[in-house]
Amino acid sequence: MENLTEVLQLFLAAENFLAIAVGVIVGVTVGSIPGLTATMAVALALPFTFSMEPVAAILLLVGIYKGGMYGGSITAILIRTPGSPASACTLLDGYPLAQQGEAKKALKMALYSSVIADFISNIALIFFAAYLAKIALNFGAPEFFWLICFSLTIIISLASGSMIKGLIAALLGILFSLVGLDSVFGSQRLTFGNYNLMDSISFIPLLIGLFAIPEIIEFYRKKVVPHLRAKASGAGVSLGELKRSLKSIVRGSLIGVCIGAIPGTGATAAAFISYSDAKRRSPNRERFGKGEVEGVAASEAGNNGVAGATMIPLLSLGIPGDVITAIILGAFMVHGLTPGPLLFQENLPLIYALFLGIMLSSLILLVVGNAAIRYFSLIADIPKSILFPIVLMFCVYGAYAVNNDTFDVWLMLGFGLLGYVFNRTGIPAAPFLIGFILGPMFEDNLRRSLLIGSNDLSIFVRGPITWFFIALTVGSILLALYRFVSSRHKAKREVSEPGSGV
Amino acid sequence: MKKLLNVLCAATCGGAVALTLSVSTAQAQEWPSDDVRLVVPYAPGGTTDVLSRRVADLLKEELDANIVVENRPGAGSTVATGRLARGGRDADHTILMASPGHAIGAAIYPNLTYDPVEDFVFIQNMLNIPNVMVVPADSPYDTPLEFIEAAQDQNMSFSSSGVGSSIHMSGELFKTMTGSDMTHVPFAGSGAALPALLGGDVDVSFENMPTVFSHIQSGDLKALAVTSEERSQYLPDVPTLKEIGEHGLDDFVTTAWFGLIAHESFPEEAVTTMQEALQAVMEREEFTSFVEQLGGEKGTRAGDEFKAFIASEVERWDAVAEQAGLRQE
Repeated sequence: MENLTEVLQLFLAAENFLAIAVGVIVGVTVGSIPGLTATMAVALALPFTFSMEPVAAILLLVGIYKGGMYGGSITAILIRTPGSPASACTLLDGYPLAQQGEAKKALKMALYSSVIADFISNIALIFFAAYLAKIALNFGAPEFFWLICFSLTIIISLASGSMIKGLIAALLGILFSLVGLDSVFGSQRLTFGNYNLMDSISFIPLLIGLFAIPEIIEFYRKKVVPHLRAKASGAGVSLGELKRSLKSIVRGSLIGVCIGAIPGTGATAAAFISYSDAKRRSPNRERFGKGEVEGVAASEAGNNGVAGATMIPLLSLGIPGDVITAIILGAFMVHGLTPGPLLFQENLPLIYALFLGIMLSSLILLVVGNAAIRYFSLIADIPKSILFPIVLMFCVYGAYAVNNDTFDVWLMLGFGLLGYVFNRTGIPAAPFLIGFILGPMFEDNLRRSLLIGSNDLSIFVRGPITWFFIALTVGSILLALYRFVSSRHKAKREVSEPGSGV
Repeated sequence: MKKLLNVLCAATCGGAVALTLSVSTAQAQEWPSDDVRLVVPYAPGGTTDVLSRRVADLLKEELDANIVVENRPGAGSTVATGRLARGGRDADHTILMASPGHAIGAAIYPNLTYDPVEDFVFIQNMLNIPNVMVVPADSPYDTPLEFIEAAQDQNMSFSSSGVGSSIHMSGELFKTMTGSDMTHVPFAGSGAALPALLGGDVDVSFENMPTVFSHIQSGDLKALAVTSEERSQYLPDVPTLKEIGEHGLDDFVTTAWFGLIAHESFPEEAVTTMQEALQAVMEREEFTSFVEQLGGEKGTRAGDEFKAFIASEVERWDAVAEQAGLRQE
């Protein structure tokens, strides 16, 4: 009881509410500007927190994190330029929806899905932190290896249309991910002696180039203005659509929670895994990638599910799962607090006050997001002849802002050309991204496992977690094969049946 | 009308002269006459970044100037350092937070376009953090000697936050000095490396103090030794490796050091101003508690002493990189 009053005392300060609100607003704004990531905003906000009370300080940063995670989807949907890496997957269906005059529907679905996922993620953090942290500790390199294998199999479903083209894209993605320093020996791979390439290809310029630039080239190549004024930004999400997507949202949130709780995988991967899982299960499978609102929901659920869960290893183990939580760890340190097992023993009221604030941040995200949609969806009404030059400017600026380097601008334009070639030849960009993100994780964890196990292959079957993911991987491949064979049969039957009637 | 024009003309000229004068007085003003740029050669997050932002925040008040923190990651800090070495227009208002990567980078990448010692002015060493030799809680080894003996018969694995990190290099140094059979298992950052250590997937690590301190306190990790010159005040019962004395460990001292450097053309008066301001920063209560939180010590080296220290670091890691076959061609 004494604790409760202390918790409320810590939480019910005007400064906390202000911090969350400001954080979420800054996050949504920054997240929606390509190249300005939530990571940068959190780093820039850090010094401001030095003089604040610890709870308000952390909540400000958490607010930016959560706002940024949602904000990235706004530009992904409206102008095919992901504001942050994690929203790359959202544009696969969000942008087509906006093109069909349903921008508002996509934006609203992204928001609702983000908020629900955020909420589920917070619940996981508050009630299962200790349990999930224990699982995270049992997640060594071999377990990671199989998780990545499983993720790779479920993205087979992303290669819609031609399997060969999907494979070409994925392999090209892996090829580009090889650039940089070898993670075990530190030797240079495909850097051609260029210092800028040593830290591997920057992800944000690649994303911006791959998605936004081809759209701009296509627009000027055709030299016709499709409609001077795009149709008004459409209606919101109907209850039916939300209901239909709810299963995917919940599943996506849980995928996000699991991935967030294990340090080192990240929100971008979570979004893609959630998206392909939803696509595989959905009866509307065929519509994914062409403007299916459930796709937007699944992707946003995946990446927002990560946000609360990354706080699990941070608070309970003192382990930051990504860059943003690393900065938040720094904020804890500056305030004389060390996240980890002892924090729960020594500062329990503070932790609970933080939990309350984190819950509140989901609600504030809903309010701020709704307001943002009202203004941002006006972008959809701007004539493209005016919009695209501005988008191009943002692309250049965004690529530059990541590392303050012009090299990244060239990189972005290079990937723009590649994206254009992809568009013209019908090679899908999503498998390329997956290859780029998961390829290095696959390689690193394979090599790490072999190093840990002194080249003994039995390390790959060492415990229940590995068995679980092996079963999932094999099951997933069998399911894909079954679907492939049965669709072939169906196609054959359809071809032969009319003939047999004659 | 003409009169009015004349008056306007005179006023404009006068204004222009006043403006020129004020600009020239600004130039004659003492350093800093402009914003100071503090380059962090790593991405946001991590000790270098947080330390830089903490220092910038306090330094702003001491110098009465704006301090702009800029992250410029790449190739283990060598991209940002190379850029600093090239100098340029604002070299007299640019400082960089250097760390072990400055010396290790020079050892690993032979094609650097700069000399890690001669091309820079070394202003002030701000913070030193010891590395701690830690093993999982259920490890059978309780002292460094027990570990070394075991490592001479069987292969041991040691984790690090990545190739060329001070954690990795400390492990390599330990391996060569003691003749142990050890395999390096690199991870993408300390955050990813820690679960492998806590879960017992790797046998040992020479982690930075702040990463493992709370786990040592909670009993999830065992500290066998610290790598600093003297015992750490935060782990007074843990011996230094130097104390062990055997196996050539008597000169095993590695610390993660952090300090501010600048281009060689950085004006002398600016160095003095900076050193005075940094001294004041380091005496601030906020800085002291921050250092304590990291389990580190305030840096004492400045100027030439700092430079000599870096020179010895470069030489030492050069030898380790050579022996461990880490030199890139």
